[in-house]
Amino acid sequence: MVKIKLSEETKEELKKLREEIAELKEQLNNVTGKEERRHHGIYIDVGNNVRNYVEDVMESDTEAIHGELEKCVFIGPRGVRIIRGKPIEEEKEAEVNFTKMSEVMSALGQEHRLKVLEALVSGGKYINELQEKLSEITASTLSSHLKILEEAGLVVQEKVRGRYLITMPGRIAYNMALRITKFLERGNQE
Amino acid sequence: MITQNYRLDNTILKATEALKLLHSEKGIIEIDKDALAIPIKLDNEQEGYVFHAHGKLLLDTIVETREGAIGESVEKEIDEPFLMLGDTKDVEGHLSEANKENLTARGYENEQAFMDKAKDLLEQFANKGRVSHFHCCDNMHGFIFAFPNEAGKFDLLIARGSNLVYKALNKVFVSNKNRVVLKTPNETIVSSERKSIVIKNGHFTKCCH
Repeated sequence: MVKIKLSEETKEELKKLREEIAELKEQLNNVTGKEERRHHGIYIDVGNNVRNYVEDVMESDTEAIHGELEKCVFIGPRGVRIIRGKPIEEEKEAEVNFTKMSEVMSALGQEHRLKVLEALVSGGKYINELQEKLSEITASTLSSHLKILEEAGLVVQEKVRGRYLITMPGRIAYNMALRITKFLERGNQE
Repeated sequence: MITQNYRLDNTILKATEALKLLHSEKGIIEIDKDALAIPIKLDNEQEGYVFHAHGKLLLDTIVETREGAIGESVEKEIDEPFLMLGDTKDVEGHLSEANKENLTARGYENEQAFMDKAKDLLEQFANKGRVSHFHCCDNMHGFIFAFPNEAGKFDLLIARGSNLVYKALNKVFVSNKNRVVLKTPNETIVSSERKSIVIKNGHFTKCCH
């Protein structure tokens, strides 16, 4: 293990991070934890035995989630070490999926689809809300754009409420397109 | 017809119309007209039903974070018998006695065949849950749904108001107001109103504020 001397500023940041992680863990306990569930979590009063059953069912998963958190957040040489993403070796070994890449790029390569993503960045929207924002296109065109975005994994639709949400990859892709555009615009100005 | 303290009623009922057994912000369970049902009772109290119906289950097991949404909705056809425990008042008024045609439509030769199937299901649930006795409280407004899955276990859905717990073979989803936990074989997401932790393939990927 490599020992690194930390600056006061870094130590302070680590302290804050530890506190935030502790807070998140507490919130996890509140959602699924055994002790707090009766007061804050989902609690259906159907008698002790069924309650115990539900607790038994959930307990193993709660422990597994805690385990994942412990594994990813509390290891490494700096006391609090966060493993961000896959190790570089794994990334190198992974083959580039050009088909998927072109599908994503193709989904991004249309002005109205980019406008849909832009509208979803601020939060989930129902189809009528999207239609208001993209009044220059018809409802069927909007639906077909949404379908393309969904197939590319950039947008997901809630089946119950019907809202459309931008996914994590969708947000990354949109930000990437935005950055490239700004970079090129800046280049042209210079 | 007794599973420890549970009792399956001797009457086989059918839905007189399509029913929404669950309709919340994140979940819907619908069954078609003519769905078969056997009441589960404890003394004279209604505790739930064993249903055999065609229907669908929709769940929005999606976590919204400031970095984008993670997960996808569950959309499943229901075609096998399942259990519902909890507040049955809304359902009671939409059931009437089933006839032979209704049984045949679901593949049963006679009443006893469905009774046996329902009894097996209830016993399986009771044994897996190590339940020897339960009694619903008068003011209970929650539901437990148990759907047998391909691994011989139960996909469990617990719902109370907008709160929801769903545990299937490859997914655990817990939603309690603004706090959500989603665990799949590859991802674990813990999200509250302000913060989210995302762990993908055992590696921490995001912590957003």
